[in-house]
This record gives sequence, structure tokens and C-alpha cells, in this order.
Amino acid sequence: MLIEQSAYTNRWRRVSPAAKGIFSLCGMIAAYAATAPATACGVAAILCAVTVLGAGIPLGRYLRIAAPALFFLAASALSLAVSLKIGNTVSALSLHLSRAELEPIAHVCGRSLGGLTALLFLALTTPLSDIISLLRRCKLPDTLLDLMTLSYRTLFVFSEAVHETITAQSARMGYATITLSLRSLGGMVANLSVQVWHRSQALHLAALARNNDGALRFLEPEHPDAPRTIPLAVISGFLLVFLAAFLP
Amino acid sequence: MSDAILSFNRVSYCYPDGTAALNNCSVTIRRGTRTAVLGANGAGKTTMFLHLNGILRPTAGHVSWEKTPLDYSRATMRNLRSRVGMVFQNPDSQLFSASVQEDVSFGPMNLGLEKKIVRERVAAALAAVGMTETANKPVHNLSYGQKKRVCIAGVLAMQPEVLVLDEPMAGLDAAMQDELAAVLEQLHTSGMTIIIATHDLDFAYGWADEVIVLQSGQLLAQGAAEEILQDVKIQNELGAAPLVAEITRSLSLIGIDLRDKGYTPRTKTELLMAITAQSRQEATL
Repeated sequence: MLIEQSAYTNRWRRVSPAAKGIFSLCGMIAAYAATAPATACGVAAILCAVTVLGAGIPLGRYLRIAAPALFFLAASALSLAVSLKIGNTVSALSLHLSRAELEPIAHVCGRSLGGLTALLFLALTTPLSDIISLLRRCKLPDTLLDLMTLSYRTLFVFSEAVHETITAQSARMGYATITLSLRSLGGMVANLSVQVWHRSQALHLAALARNNDGALRFLEPEHPDAPRTIPLAVISGFLLVFLAAFLP
Repeated sequence: MSDAILSFNRVSYCYPDGTAALNNCSVTIRRGTRTAVLGANGAGKTTMFLHLNGILRPTAGHVSWEKTPLDYSRATMRNLRSRVGMVFQNPDSQLFSASVQEDVSFGPMNLGLEKKIVRERVAAALAAVGMTETANKPVHNLSYGQKKRVCIAGVLAMQPEVLVLDEPMAGLDAAMQDELAAVLEQLHTSGMTIIIATHDLDFAYGWADEVIVLQSGQLLAQGAAEEILQDVKIQNELGAAPLVAEITRSLSLIGIDLRDKGYTPRTKTELLMAITAQSRQEATL
């Protein structure tokens, strides 16, 4: 919900999604092209600063959104850096940290961090419906886009249904003990499965009623700023890639 | 009737599980009228509505558009669905896109219209339901009443001749109901034929020109709202009566006949005005 909130309320909400998509893509390329781990971290810092200072996303919220991904990144880095060494006896079992491997691991982590901040830039400045229209313009398959559209919409419908079911179950002591909690959880899953079936039928009928006979078609939002912001995004994106690739 | 726009001729429909939802039902909807479809839960209202839009096909009998029986070909269905707009009861079951503007554009885009025309229609439809300011808002941040309006806008953008609404007032507070009633009134004034399924007898009595009463899939009565809803037999079948009709009848029993000038009050406002006029008349005498 924090991502959703940021996407709809940030300063660059109305900026062309194409411009933001290009800049984000350039950010990912720059992170990959970075010659040293420090450069990749520099790219990540620039992308983070652009998101926080440019789009006006509060730093605290940004860190809260990035925290789970950063946790996974740290865990992955640790598992890459530390390896289990098995000797001849059980007592010879030891954790091993290879100094030679640290350099490539730091590089991978730097790139991942850059990629993460580039994706966060797009996700926090652009609502998913705009990203879907952008992908539609990029000629992605209709089936994939329809699935994205419906999944995104139903995500909110079902999160509301889950919330209502949990409230109703809690009101009748449904989560008083562990056994009851498991039973309630099972009941909720069963109930939601039936709801999914009914709602998919209802959506199908609603689509038929509005003359739909195939792919879901929507009007793409207009972005009058595109002729100005797209070249700007291309220039700044290329500059970022150039700095990352050619700076020592 | 010469101006019949949609008609059912001895229509029966049986669901695949064997439930007979409509049984030998013959009704006529006249162009430009406001029709309320009444009946208990399971009476066949929603099934009837799904036939109006060609989503369900009768197992017996036929549905006609302007006296021509539907042949259910792809072209006929496309034509019918562009002329008969359907708004379902639950807004969350019919809103596809997370963006208001995109969702409203869904119907006109399906009609294959040019983007410029779609854009104009979306703007006009949102304005008609008073939702222009929410055009760029996400659907999940809207209230229930606002979602209902977006659903109506999504159908209006297809510029249908007939608007069919299944329980539009359900779940709305009094203020939202008044706002929706005003939108419907405006659409009726513009010449649109409106059909509504409702349990609200007071609303049906005050709003509808014609009433269709269904009972267990069969047509119990069709006719002028005033006439049908004052019929004690029908009231008994429905298990209730419009409050205004009951007060008018009770007043007539104690000698105050508000209908003596050939005019029957149908809404609370009309009833109050009639009582005030009667009191003034008696005071003058």
C-alpha cells in the first residue's frame, strides 16, 4: 500500500510513464555497466536521490519500502560470502570467508542495489495502470497485460474480502487459540476460493455486457509533457550509463 | 404497443443446474419509460435482466428488440449490447481497471470508436454522474457509492438507448440515493429508457412509470406503477406497500381524499404538498 500511495501522490505522478520507464531502464543498464562496486553503489545513490528529492518520496517511506528487498540482498550476499568447509572430522566443520571472492560478491551486490533503486524509481513514481499502458505500447502480449490488469484490480477487492472475513471470524472468537486460528484460516481460504470463482464469472458477464469479445482495451492516459520529458529522460539516462561505464 | 423497444414473448429460462428462473414470461418495455421490476429474492429479476442484454438466451420463447426477435448472432449481440447498457449490483464485480478513466473507456473502446471520440464520451459520462474530479483516481480509493457511479458512467459512455440497473440503490445511504435518483431523472429527461430492479417499493412508487412484478419466475403483473402498487392483492404478494400509498388510503378512510382532483401523490414531498393544500382548502371553507 505504501508503494501504491507513493505512486499516486508523488510530484512526478503526471510525468509521462515513457520518460520514467526510459530513465529506470537506463538506471538498470548503468548499474550493470558499472565497472566497480563503488560505482554501482554510486548509481544506486543517484537513483535513490532522484526518487527522494526529485519525485518527493519521503526518505523514511522509501527505506521502509526498500527494507524487505535490502534484507534479502544482505542475506544473499552473506550466503555468497560465507561458505561451509567440511574437513575430515566433525570438529573440522568451519565457516569460511574467502577474501578473493569478496570483490565479485561486492560487484554483484552493487549491481543488485542499482537495479533495485532503478525499479523502485519506476514503482514509486508511476501507478501500475500507467505502467501497464506503457507495456501495452511496447507491444507486450495482450494475455499477459490482461492478467496484470485483472490481478492488480482484484488484489484490492480480495484484500478487502480477507479483511472483512478476518474481522467477522475474530468477532466470533475465530482466532482465540492456535487450533481455532488454523480452522478459521482454512475456512477463509475455502470461502475465498468460492468467491474467486463467483467473481470471475461476474467479471466475465460484465465484460460481455460491455461488448467485450477478446482482449481488455482501455483508453491510454494522455501525457502532454512527453515531448519535453522523454528527451530529458533519454539524455539523463545516457549520462548515467556513461558515468557508470567509463568512470573508474 | 407501437413504441415497444424490448419485449419478452413467453420467455422461459432454466439454469444448467435445473433451476427454472423464468417461466412463460411475457412483458413489454416501452421506449422512453421508467420501469421498475419488483419481486422477492429469487423471483427472476436478474435472470430477466441478463436476457435484456443477450447474455442469457431463453430456453423457450423469444426476446425482441423493436419487435424483431433476437437471432443471437455475433453482429446482433454487438448491436444489442451497444444499445442496452447493463449496470450490475456489485460494483467490484464489474470494474476492470484500477483507474476510473480507463474503466469508463472500456465499453466505448470495445465498440471500436476512435480514441478522440472515446475521450469525449468518457469526459461526458463522468460529468453526467458528477465524477469528473475522480477521473484520475484509483478505483480502490473510491467509496461504494462513487464506484456505483463509475459503473453507470462506464455504461453511459457507450451511449445506450436503454439503461438497465440491478438494485442500484442497494448499499447507498440516503444522500447518495437522492444523488443517484437525480442522475436517473436527468437521463430519463434526455429520453433514455430506464429499467431498474429494486426491493424499495417507496422508490418504485415515486419514480417508475411502469412496474413489472415477478413471482417465482412468473409475471404476476405489469402496468402503471400507480395502479399496480395500489392493488391490495399485489401488495399482499409483495409483503409490503408503498408508505405514501398506504397513508393516502388511510386518509381516504377517515374522509380526507387527496385523490379527488384526479391526482395521486406518489412521493413524500407530493404527499405533504397535497395534505397542506387540503388543509388550506378546508380552512378557507
